[in-house]
Amino acid sequence: MFYIHHTVCISPQISFPEVNLDNLLTSIDNKLYAKQVSSADIPPAILRRMGKAVKMAVSASGPLLKHYTNLDGIIIGTANGGMEDCIKFLNQIFQYEEGVLTPTNFVQSTPNAIAAQLGFISKNKGYNITHVHRGLAFENALIDVEMLLDDNPAHTYLLGGLDEISDYNFNIEYLCGYIKKEIINNSELYTGKTTGSIAGEGVAMFVVNNNKEGAISILKNVKTIHTTDKNEVLEVFKEFLFNSQLQNDEIDMLLTGENGDERYITYSELIESVVPDAIVARYKHMLGEFQTASAFALWLANYILQDQHVPVHMVKKQTISKPLRNIIIYNNYQGFQHSFMLLSKV
Amino acid sequence: MTKVYVTGMGILTALGDSLESNRDGLKEGRCGIGSLEGFSTRYADSLLFGEVKRSNEELKKLLSIKEKGVSRTSLLALHAFNQAVQEAGLTNQNISDKNTALILANTVGGMCLTDELYRDANQRDSGSEYVASYDCGSVGIYLQQKFAMHGIINTINTACSSSANAIMYGVRLIKKGYAKRAIVGGADSLAKFTINGFNSLHILSSGRCSPFDVNRDGLNLGEGAAFLVLEAEQHTSDKKKLAEVKGYANTNDAFHPSTLSENGDGPYLAMEKALKQAGLNPDEINYINTHGTGTENNDEVESKAMIKIFKNKVPAFTSTKSNIGHTLGASGAIEAVYSILNLLYQEIYPSLSFKESIEATRLIPEQVYSKAMIKNVMSNSFGFGGNCSSLIFSKV
Repeated sequence: MFYIHHTVCISPQISFPEVNLDNLLTSIDNKLYAKQVSSADIPPAILRRMGKAVKMAVSASGPLLKHYTNLDGIIIGTANGGMEDCIKFLNQIFQYEEGVLTPTNFVQSTPNAIAAQLGFISKNKGYNITHVHRGLAFENALIDVEMLLDDNPAHTYLLGGLDEISDYNFNIEYLCGYIKKEIINNSELYTGKTTGSIAGEGVAMFVVNNNKEGAISILKNVKTIHTTDKNEVLEVFKEFLFNSQLQNDEIDMLLTGENGDERYITYSELIESVVPDAIVARYKHMLGEFQTASAFALWLANYILQDQHVPVHMVKKQTISKPLRNIIIYNNYQGFQHSFMLLSKV
Repeated sequence: MTKVYVTGMGILTALGDSLESNRDGLKEGRCGIGSLEGFSTRYADSLLFGEVKRSNEELKKLLSIKEKGVSRTSLLALHAFNQAVQEAGLTNQNISDKNTALILANTVGGMCLTDELYRDANQRDSGSEYVASYDCGSVGIYLQQKFAMHGIINTINTACSSSANAIMYGVRLIKKGYAKRAIVGGADSLAKFTINGFNSLHILSSGRCSPFDVNRDGLNLGEGAAFLVLEAEQHTSDKKKLAEVKGYANTNDAFHPSTLSENGDGPYLAMEKALKQAGLNPDEINYINTHGTGTENNDEVESKAMIKIFKNKVPAFTSTKSNIGHTLGASGAIEAVYSILNLLYQEIYPSLSFKESIEATRLIPEQVYSKAMIKNVMSNSFGFGGNCSSLIFSKV
């Protein structure tokens, strides 16, 4: 349980520096690339040398690090980190037959290079960690922060989630069956009856602490489960609601990670059935599918609580208009890594 | 606050595939570092490695693995996992219980299959059997699925300090009541990818690594896995407690992507905070299992940081990387197991290949096997990206 004070998100939609989510930007060849944003806070010469993931994270963190100069630690969730660098180095190995290689790509390819770079830029010698547990990498980062703030109630942390599209992980995820075989437009992600989704990328960074004053929202609960058993997902959700001490009709909105893969739709439908009074909204058509997409969902829920407006293209099921106070985010990665988050307005 | 105990351990390294063989190897001062036999790389003969001398086929047979797509990293992990849960007396029901967490550390994942990854990443016709097994998460997910685990499952990658952080995360989950027990550890296998990566940084030794020696010229890459079963005090009344996890800290050096700062701010802070967390004075540490990679940078910086913390009374220390090489994401957990062997048997194992001390620091590691009174052991792990961690294990 902690408060969110300040956020930055760089995504395929218009989310930084200004936010305009009503106009949906479209995918190309089943990919939603994050918008290239240059950070005024980092010299272009330094940015140019960074891989995409590090660049995204540094650009998104720039304004936060400038404002919060005394952070107590950096907690990042990323399944793959700098995939482009990883594959560039891999290709070098084969191209030069293991000859004399340049280490830059290797050093940037380790997933912890992102948190490390942020620590380096901000000269932060505090707690620094990278959670890489695929579809629950970001959720584990949340649990970590929750435990840190329990032990250190006066601390403030930088928390983030990100992953990038590279040609290579796109190929690998295509081979895994995670990407649709047919090319679709992201606006029609939920209308087909095929397997796979579209690829995406983005970064969401948060400044969090235990201080209610000036906060936008409060993350009240987070829960993860690995299972393919629908009944178990349902049971865990009910337990989550019970532990959150909320009545079902107090859930104003359910934000699901429905991703257009027909194999996984029933999970979302089951969860929807538990909270019939809630607005049901979806987000993966804005972002694409990737392991840390739930970080964007948390940013989005936080923004919606602040803005009290849900873009039309997100709405799956409308209910009577009411103030938005409590949003539950349900995400599922490839049908077996599920997570629930409860975010409430302050 | 709840005390957290180690109730089971499992290990697989270049010294052997059991606790006994590893302890024997350490006692005898055996070095498991040699030529690479498992796969072909340009450096198989010119560089030396701490290889686990069991082929994938042998491991699969030993572990009764028939399914496809299981990477070597997952095989190493499974072997160590099995030993640890067996020693702790965990039933399959205990393992799959929602109060049992699995926290794994890993940096290579399925990238040990460097050739397969290269092919799969560059084509879209048909994938290899390993297509879903390349990421770091794949190893923990393999174990989660194999044992139908329902608790919190996580994978951490802070480069070479990864599994120290996995242990720390497990302890914290238990202390917070998010788990009654946590199976924590790390696994990494040798890979063409990391061999070329470390080689491009010019930090691989031309021979066997010689930690803390004035003429040290780099590290040897190794592979292996280790797991520990951690349990909350209130659930261990009927169990043998191997050690208490008393202190832990994670800091960042905030200096350079692959080099430690001259005075070792990150390492110093990690050791200092771990002592504080454990409520111990520096003079209560009886032995340090150092990070001690054998690189020019690490050993001198770590020595300076130890001198700063312990003043002129640096405790007995060794580097077990001189026996098994640097096992990257597994090293924190492997060295935790070794540290607990020090505690359990009240003995110190010799550090190998040391001849002459570093001029600036003059620290000399223990070079002979000895019996010793050991109450508290510190284990250091530092990684790329300035990720520093220190753990303290105490005698029960």
